[in-house]
Amino acid sequence: MRRTWALILVVFGIPGRILGYLRGLAGRIGHYLAALPGRAANYLRTLPARIWRTLRATKQVLFGTEPTVPDVVYSAGLLLSATGVVVTFLYDQSLTPYPLVALVLLAVVGWNVLPAIGYSKYQARTAKLLTLFATVATVLTVGFITFFLFEKAWGPVSTYGDELLAIPRHRETGQPRWFFFMDYLGVLPVSEVRLGSGWDPSNAHYSLMAAAWGTVLVTLVAGAVAGPLGVLGALFIAEIASNRVRSVVKPGVEILAGIPSIVYGFIGFMVINQFTQDQFLDAGSSFVGAGLVVGIMALPTVVSVSEDALSAVPNSMRDGSVAMGATNWQTMKSISIPAAFSGISAAIILGLGRALGETMAVAAMMAGGNIFARPLYDVFDAGATLTSRIAITYGSASDATVDVLFVAGVMLFSVIAVMSLIAQYVERRMERKLQGEQ
Amino acid sequence: MSDAYAQDRSLVREDSNYIDQALDTTIALTTISFFLGLVTMVDAVGLATSGGALTSFFLELLAVGVGGVAVVAALSYLNVVPITSQRVRGIGVGIVISLLGLTVLAAALPVNMATLLGLVLLIEAASVLGAGILSWQGIFDTDPSPSAGLLAGVAFGVVGLIIGAVVGGTFFPSIGLTVVFPDGTPLVIDFGYLLPALGLAGLLGAATILPREDLGTAIPVAVLVGGLGAVVVFGTIDPGWVWSPGEDIDADFTGHIVIPLFVLLGSVVSSWGTAKARAGYGAVGRQFGSYLVVYLNAGVMLTIMVAIVTFVAMKGLTYALHGFTVGALTGLVLLAPLLAVVVSWARTPAGTAEWHSGARQLFRAIPVAAVGGLAAFLASLQLRGQSFEIPFQFTVFNQSRQEVTLDTAFTITTEPRVGTLIVLISGLLLAWYFKRQYGSLQSVGDQSDRLLAVERWVGIAMGAMTLLAVVLLISPPTITVDVFVTTLSMYVDTIADTLGLAVVAGAALAAIGLLVLAGETVLSVGKPVAERARENPDRLRIGLFGAVGLLAVAALLEPLAGVRPSVGSFDILPVVATAGAALGLVIAVMTAALARTATPATERVLRKESAMALSATAAFVVVTALHVALTQVSFTLAGATIGVTGTLSWPMTMSPYIPLGLEPGGIMPAVVGTVWLVVGATLFAVPLGVGAAVFLTEYAEQGKFTGLVEIATNSLWSTPSVVFGLFGAAFLIPRLDNSESLLAAMLVLGFMLLPLVLITSREALKSVPDEYRDASAALGVSKWDTVRSVVLPAAMPGVITGVILGVGRIAGETAPLILVLGSTLNETSSVDVLGGFRFVGHPPFVDNPALLESSAALPTQVWAVISAGVSGSPSMGWGSAFILLAVVLSFYAVGIIARTYFRRKLDYE
Repeated sequence: MRRTWALILVVFGIPGRILGYLRGLAGRIGHYLAALPGRAANYLRTLPARIWRTLRATKQVLFGTEPTVPDVVYSAGLLLSATGVVVTFLYDQSLTPYPLVALVLLAVVGWNVLPAIGYSKYQARTAKLLTLFATVATVLTVGFITFFLFEKAWGPVSTYGDELLAIPRHRETGQPRWFFFMDYLGVLPVSEVRLGSGWDPSNAHYSLMAAAWGTVLVTLVAGAVAGPLGVLGALFIAEIASNRVRSVVKPGVEILAGIPSIVYGFIGFMVINQFTQDQFLDAGSSFVGAGLVVGIMALPTVVSVSEDALSAVPNSMRDGSVAMGATNWQTMKSISIPAAFSGISAAIILGLGRALGETMAVAAMMAGGNIFARPLYDVFDAGATLTSRIAITYGSASDATVDVLFVAGVMLFSVIAVMSLIAQYVERRMERKLQGEQ
Repeated sequence: MSDAYAQDRSLVREDSNYIDQALDTTIALTTISFFLGLVTMVDAVGLATSGGALTSFFLELLAVGVGGVAVVAALSYLNVVPITSQRVRGIGVGIVISLLGLTVLAAALPVNMATLLGLVLLIEAASVLGAGILSWQGIFDTDPSPSAGLLAGVAFGVVGLIIGAVVGGTFFPSIGLTVVFPDGTPLVIDFGYLLPALGLAGLLGAATILPREDLGTAIPVAVLVGGLGAVVVFGTIDPGWVWSPGEDIDADFTGHIVIPLFVLLGSVVSSWGTAKARAGYGAVGRQFGSYLVVYLNAGVMLTIMVAIVTFVAMKGLTYALHGFTVGALTGLVLLAPLLAVVVSWARTPAGTAEWHSGARQLFRAIPVAAVGGLAAFLASLQLRGQSFEIPFQFTVFNQSRQEVTLDTAFTITTEPRVGTLIVLISGLLLAWYFKRQYGSLQSVGDQSDRLLAVERWVGIAMGAMTLLAVVLLISPPTITVDVFVTTLSMYVDTIADTLGLAVVAGAALAAIGLLVLAGETVLSVGKPVAERARENPDRLRIGLFGAVGLLAVAALLEPLAGVRPSVGSFDILPVVATAGAALGLVIAVMTAALARTATPATERVLRKESAMALSATAAFVVVTALHVALTQVSFTLAGATIGVTGTLSWPMTMSPYIPLGLEPGGIMPAVVGTVWLVVGATLFAVPLGVGAAVFLTEYAEQGKFTGLVEIATNSLWSTPSVVFGLFGAAFLIPRLDNSESLLAAMLVLGFMLLPLVLITSREALKSVPDEYRDASAALGVSKWDTVRSVVLPAAMPGVITGVILGVGRIAGETAPLILVLGSTLNETSSVDVLGGFRFVGHPPFVDNPALLESSAALPTQVWAVISAGVSGSPSMGWGSAFILLAVVLSFYAVGIIARTYFRRKLDYE
């Protein structure tokens, strides 16, 4: 009985706690805002010094600490030709070979020729600069991906505007039906006409809402598969398995990650679709089938990232718990999992990101369809997701339609980038916390 | 423990009480019913199976189960695999008892599979309930907690919620409240499924949380599993039963899918409950219960992995291997490097004494025995002149889109001919392998100025010949400028001919001289051979490898100068090379034989010399193959031929699609396309990735910049592949001739490979201990030299492993290829990258139109089959999927093995 009362007290205490947390949050935001002007001023005050420092550091990386004139000339030559490669590739590709040849020649001169005639320091110089260029190229790649996707997507966005996210309209009045999902949910009576999705390229209607919703459905099913299985699998690998068992299971999970998505898709297309058609659906393809396959594909991500998180929990914490007489399971449940909780949630976020961006399995298993699932939560329906819309439509569509696909790409890219950033933040915070406790 | 270990040979100890044994049996039963759930789910055994068929199925299962348990029991009795755990023993006995019981039930009762599974669920429910009640009454000695816990309660609550909603929605479809909005739209609030759902959830949750743990486990499990079992047993749900969730949802759940799902759920839940009871509830019980579920989950994951791979292999193997033919000699040549690897695996001593135990030695010897046996088999085929054939059948999709079964065979022929490419690859691998074995024998033994002069002159000669080759390579395109130059070029051609002939012949002569120099160390009379060999490793090295080098450059020169000097019907170059190979082999055998009786110091040198001679032998064979490959003239000696074309014929990967043929041909264009994609992406991404990793780890200050790069690469890693494809379409294609092309696809895959390489290389570089860097710096070595000669070599295994795994990943990427490479079905010609290189008069002086063509690739091949719909051939799809899977998984296997190997090596060091 006492336990029951305690339970009830806890349950009723929850609103109070949430309120307290929110009040605390408001206070913290207030403090932050109050401190903001001072911080901004400080930032501006130290800005020149920091710019100077950055410039000096850049100079040191590019030309060395005490550059001689030949040093500067050589480094500047490499720098110029590398920049030239990028710039000419961006604006006039017929010119690209010239700086490219110059870059290769200069690199060979610095790497082989100059050291051979006694100026051995030029090899180090060349190496440093080339590795710097490689680093900059990596960052530039991310920048270019972002820029060119958004640039290409800007056209259709400015042409169609909020049409791209349009919701169904009333057939007669032409008014947007903002609460359309209410009749999908069975709350409002189903409207007379079966609602389209707004995707009708022949009439230049390009709403991506239905595909986005398809993505959500597939991701949810995949998360329901990959989340529990993945976390349990990670627990097994990190906490329970002996070394020998681990050396079998871990590569097994890795191989699961290595199977190409098109092979998963082909199996799904040939086997799972057939199975669902025979067993419980009239049509073979369904969100639930696709989600299942995508979930298995996302499983390795969840397993390996949460396994890393669990392994990062210091052994001293576990030892303490076991020394207190707790069983291994209690230790896992009350020590390891809570300590690694942020890492595990990062794993699930990353797994969901994988599921969100998975293309070929979905495209292979659900060949198309332009409408919303009906009712919205009907996972047994089939339709396009953002990724499968891109993959299926791209080859055969008109230019205008292809441009819209870039908007779908931008949506995917942004959502997944945000998820990845959150996951990274959560992981870092956990690392810091665990290191602090050590 | 130790007593039981040595003497307790009864299968179950007497003091293990009956309740424990019953619970062990129940656990075994739940495992079996989980397995049966899977079996019926995939319809391997139908739910309607009954009578004789059902009995015989269970008899077969019984045979397997009893056999497995009996073997383990016998091994345990003999103390080979001592099983001391009472639980494991109990479960073993339980498996036998359960299977016996099931077989008897199946034979005695007039039931079908579905009813039998329902009965099993009822039995499981009863036994969990019984254990709970016995424990509650204090008859069964346990240690329960006051409550089963919130977690279990919530889990049962959720299950109750779902079942309640389904049941409620079915039986009370139209109980609801209708509210009418002011504008006249009615709003229906449906209680039909809501109330039963909440009710059942609350009931199950409360039954779990409120009572003491034993009852709190037994009651919800019994209610849930018993309920599931009852609806099946009493025929409420039978295989013919159909249920639709609602008129809008076009799913019809049949008993075929629902009953296996019930069985799976019931088995997991009751195994959890039984395991808890078996360990006496409490903290220990919870651990046992949870572990069972976690183990089950791990087992399911592995099963999925194995099932996928086996399934694809089973489906695709026959199509992928149709018409596979290989010459026995070719097989032997292919096996040679493998043999070297397994021998080295068997020789590798590992750090611990454990490795000397018999089992481990056996483990190391088995690969040698297997490969050696195969090689001997091939050799016997070749010697007897007896070909070998395994006939099988495969299905193709003919023109009228029907499946046709064709006869084909896996054949080993005895034609003594080996293709030049295979010899090249095998020879290079062997040469490299043996070169690693002997390391550097420089500065060992006698040094003489004359020898050094020879070495220098060989180098100069090779350099000069290479220069000549480059001149001849570049000269053709510059000739056709005007008439005067054309006339001149005729002279140039003649001069080139004469010069080439002289140079190649001269190189061959010089090589003979060098061979004599090398052979003289061991083959002439005078001092004891062992001593002379020990004193002259340098002479051996310069003699053998100088000859290899000269001959190799001469072989390159031959096609460029258009000459092929020969004496009679024999070409000079391969004859000299073969003589070199023979000499190398003789030296290797002699030194190896001498090493057996030599003093330890001499033995070391002799063994290394033997490896060196073997390496040279392989290199001479490579030169011969190179000659054949470049001049396109086969070379035959003593019956064996190194041919321009070989005897390996694998239609699936070596021929393109044959339109209108009965035999389907293959997917060579896709294989070639994937190879070039992988090569291009690797060439682009690996230098960038490794370079960036070096900069970030060794040069950059760890701060904001490195943090930024890390965030950027991690984001790049999680960016979906189709977005890379869109990027390629938006950025690369407009800049590369505006069409889908191989080059664009290479670059896109390179962009995808970049973060993988960067992340793994950084990890590898970071894991190099700072002591290495400090030690190097303390010796006065500059930063870059430290990186180059200390840090990078130490990190290289990690970097290579990362690259291999990354390449495995991008090799199977499909989505970007659809966007930038184009996808085609039934491609009839493969992209010719090597032949596409041309020299042009403006930078970058080389041009390759083949790179700007679209191409097929393995993943897009599979996709093309899918998107072709009914006109795509499923068997071809499976074949292609199998090849793709094999390619990708071999990358993974190599990567994982390499990582394990290097990690173990690091651990022991």
